[in-house]
Amino acid sequence: MRLIATSCGTYYHIETLEGDRAPRVWDAIVPPEDLATTLEPGDTLFVPCRSPAQRLIAQAETIRAHLDQGGTVVAMGESRSDLWLPAIAFTPRPTNWWWWREDGADLGVEVTVPHHPLMAGLDRGAVTWHLHGHFDPPEGATVLIRDADGLALAYVDACTTAGRMVVTSLDPCYHHGSHFMPATTRFLAGFLPALRAIAKGEQGWTRAPLARSATD
Amino acid sequence: MTDLPTHGVIWLRSAFAEPSERVAAAEAAGRVTVLTETDLTRDALFAHRGLITGIQLDQDRALCWAEMLSAWLSAGGRWLFNGHMVRPILPEASPFVPMDRPGRADFAQTRIADHPILTGIDPSKLEANRGVAGFYGRGHNPMPKGAIAITGLGPSHVPVDWHWPVGRGAVFSHAGNDLWGAGLEHGLGPVLTERCIAWAGGDLPCA
Repeated sequence: MRLIATSCGTYYHIETLEGDRAPRVWDAIVPPEDLATTLEPGDTLFVPCRSPAQRLIAQAETIRAHLDQGGTVVAMGESRSDLWLPAIAFTPRPTNWWWWREDGADLGVEVTVPHHPLMAGLDRGAVTWHLHGHFDPPEGATVLIRDADGLALAYVDACTTAGRMVVTSLDPCYHHGSHFMPATTRFLAGFLPALRAIAKGEQGWTRAPLARSATD
Repeated sequence: MTDLPTHGVIWLRSAFAEPSERVAAAEAAGRVTVLTETDLTRDALFAHRGLITGIQLDQDRALCWAEMLSAWLSAGGRWLFNGHMVRPILPEASPFVPMDRPGRADFAQTRIADHPILTGIDPSKLEANRGVAGFYGRGHNPMPKGAIAITGLGPSHVPVDWHWPVGRGAVFSHAGNDLWGAGLEHGLGPVLTERCIAWAGGDLPCA
């Protein structure tokens, strides 16, 4: 029941995973090449955005085995998860990084299930910076975040494998780690503690937060 | 001291994406060798004059190269570093320092000293892409002793670019997104790619 992050050693991974501006929630931070000797059944694996995909593709069998054993994998954006996770249907789009300069600017990104434990505390402002593409989630998946056209930007798939995949096209680690886009820091401030609570069994995937004892 | 070749640049491929057409053309012309990080050996490095690294450099891996890089720079190597240096790959460097809540005026560029990579390029054309500033840099890698500030950001001239003569070689540090991604709407991407290759390869003066 650990929360494990891969780090590809990029400055933005190091700043996001080790810096003091984002919640430090990790039980271990390892390079992708160490996953085979690190992952244990029950672990939750977090793959930060903009990880050089070739390093995850080389670990695809290990990651798939983890899923088949009931493990959880969280794949953030711009890391070509379609090449190292099963059943990912991703459609990229050009990055509209100037959108907010246009009249009436509104990306229309929404949290579709605000009651979901992973989305606790995340409002529109915390999930809105850039768009990089959308997914066609498999049947039975739960869409967490969608764009203005209703297309999925983040979803949970507990159907395809014995484990659970959380997949998104959002790339908060790159921007946060680059000291860019305050919304991404807000996203991580909400998402990472929620993920840890679930990974540690303190919170279920679908239930409301467990009641805390008076001593908590 | 080992003599380095007078030409030849390693374009270190950290990213998944293929290098640009211009880099591929330089490779086809024998000016550039595209290497993955795992292929960067001491022999490979000392067989080239220049090294170009991008923002997806694995700085944990690169930390293991510190002694090798230092010896190579002393022998005349030229290293163009893009990004925030957050590991002490250069023992003389300290970690990246971000600007404190910068506004648009803090991204205005001043060319503090000329440099062959940037000479003749209007710094204002590097400040923004589609009117959005901040891509070029949002802080600085602190300069080692003896380094020369090249580009300053904002009124306080935060040294986002600097040149450091070291031994018979040099480091050019650009503390932002990959340099060739700046000034795209002015067609400067290919120009900067070529300048980076030419400088690292010894086809341009060192400073």
